[in-house]
Amino acid sequence: MNDLSQASLNAFQLLISGNTDIWEIISLSFSVSFSAILIATPFALIIAFCLAFFQFKLRRACIALFNTFMSVPAVIIGLTLYLLLSRSGPLGDLRLLFTHKAMIIGQILLCFPLLVAMAHATFQAADRRAWETAITLGAKPWRAFFTLVYEVRFGLIAAIVAGFGRVIAEIGCSMMVGGNILHSTRNIPTAIALETSKGEFAQGIALGIVLLVLSLSLNAGVSVFQGKGELQQ
Amino acid sequence: MTDLIDLNNIHLTLADKAVLNIKSISIPAHQCTLITGRNGSGKTTLFKVISGLLKPNRATIEYQGLTLPWKKAKPILQKDFIYLHQNPYLFDDTVLNNIAYGLYRAGESKAVAHQKVMQALDWANLSHLAHRSAKQLSGGEKQRVALTRARILSPRLLLLDEPTASMDTDAKQQTSELLQRLKSEGVSILICSHETHTIDHIADHFLHLENGELTPASSSKRTSNVTVLNPSKKSI
Repeated sequence: MNDLSQASLNAFQLLISGNTDIWEIISLSFSVSFSAILIATPFALIIAFCLAFFQFKLRRACIALFNTFMSVPAVIIGLTLYLLLSRSGPLGDLRLLFTHKAMIIGQILLCFPLLVAMAHATFQAADRRAWETAITLGAKPWRAFFTLVYEVRFGLIAAIVAGFGRVIAEIGCSMMVGGNILHSTRNIPTAIALETSKGEFAQGIALGIVLLVLSLSLNAGVSVFQGKGELQQ
Repeated sequence: MTDLIDLNNIHLTLADKAVLNIKSISIPAHQCTLITGRNGSGKTTLFKVISGLLKPNRATIEYQGLTLPWKKAKPILQKDFIYLHQNPYLFDDTVLNNIAYGLYRAGESKAVAHQKVMQALDWANLSHLAHRSAKQLSGGEKQRVALTRARILSPRLLLLDEPTASMDTDAKQQTSELLQRLKSEGVSILICSHETHTIDHIADHFLHLENGELTPASSSKRTSNVTVLNPSKKSI
């Protein structure tokens, strides 16, 4: 118990003192996850909108596929990507394995199905009159799409926040395609795993606190946005 | 009397059920046509087809001297006609920005759009609502804001789906007056409504839609000084 208290105290000291290693890991985590979300979101929203608003062959199969991919473990995505990016893999020549870019690609693959599924549910529940009204008032389809996105923004923000929550805390994929290299690809979850295995609990707890605070903030944020959305209806 | 648009052989099937099967419908220019019909008779569906929002299985459009299949006519219909839902949708913004929406899409500058919106609000006696959130308006106010938003774009045809449904007497009266003023400005109007007693003094022509097919309105559904359009031929 004393060890745990001491380790927690050291963890706070590490965070407050601005320990370079710790803050470098935190900033890398955020930059990788933000990049992944930023790249994935526009495509996910367009696909989700098409799935919700247009009838086409294999539409239901696509929805089922995205729902299935949502629950694929991060480590499976990491393994698949590893095999693709490894030197003997089909994309080996790109030399992306154990780089930032590989981590971003892995996180895009992780959050994409979740973003599509949640955004699809939001668009599906959207008031179709919004789309029809925009079109009848002279908006081109692209403009009408942006109008609709604005109308259901709270649900979409909740989807994006949930997607961010999924990737910032994942370990399997980042470990496999990032390699947990210090000053290069070490992010919060991989650092926690490593430090804990070395018995360096203070650093692990410090990073754990960051994830915990982040998780609480994200959940609070989602609740606020969902609440605003409900109030609007 | 000249026709604004003629639609021929409108056929639409949804879930293996024939929703619309109309041989011909002519909509006269600068006049008001009222379509009556029970719930589920296809009134809203017909309005969405005419306004280019819903694709029929087949339909031919005669408009501005051109005879086009619906698919080719769709952009023209969407550009020239405005459809208002039974409960009009107002965007999550101020009344002013809602009315300016179509003007912005037409490329108007913010200053010009603002000026036109204020004039339009004044026309509709809604100036006091300009900066209110559109989502907080009552049903009647929403309907009048939506009518103003449509009028400002000078549509060639205004399609109104049950414009006075679920309104109290005052709101019905105000909406009815606004429709009368729109008509007197020469806007072609197509209305579908259950409540013919509120609307029929505005209407010049009556049609009845039954199970997706148009028939002339029965005498109980119209007043004596109006014309019944023959749906199977060009307008009388």
